Amino acid sequence: MQLHRHREDFDRVGARLVVIGQGTPRHAEHFIEEYGLDGMQVLVDPDRKTYEAAGAKIATVDELWHPRIVARGTKIAATDRIVQGRTQGHAAQLGGVLVVARDGSIAWAHMSDDASDNPPTEEVLQAARTAADTA
Amino acid sequence: MPKFPNVLGAAMKRQTTNPPERADELADFVLQDQNGEDVRLGDTWSDGPAVLVWLRHYG
Repeated sequence: MQLHRHREDFDRVGARLVVIGQGTPRHAEHFIEEYGLDGMQVLVDPDRKTYEAAGAKIATVDELWHPRIVARGTKIAATDRIVQGRTQGHAAQLGGVLVVARDGSIAWAHMSDDASDNPPTEEVLQAARTAADTA
Repeated sequence: MPKFPNVLGAAMKRQTTNPPERADELADFVLQDQNGEDVRLGDTWSDGPAVLVWLRHYG
């Protein structure tokens, strides 16, 4: 998930980008330093309770390392020049994205179905733009 | 039929994602930020929409 690379785009459409990871505040701080994300808020959920509440799933071995999944992830990494960062906490925990409107409704959702399943940035941006325009 | 060992806590059966229709349950979670400060999740969308991204890994 590389949406943090597009923080300014989310700022422009009037949506707040909030990143949640496993691990500790120190891991979040290192992540911010490594990717030059000064000013962005990165939250940590070592118990993964919000992952569960967001409807994220735990992957099977196939959903992590099936050759098709690995090939897809490698292609995305090469195209977007991504180097996968360190995994903290539960290695099979998948993530995802929710766009939450001001009234607390979920305007858009994409929880990952396997390790290579990430939503297109433009699709998330459009959902955020629509949510901001209707707020 | 041979079974794979449970590697790194991977699920033994395929799960489905289950995102909520509303973020009411999420709103009251309090998480720490990179500075160790408590943040109530619901406060992140009180002034406008929030894009919440749950990472699988840092990177």
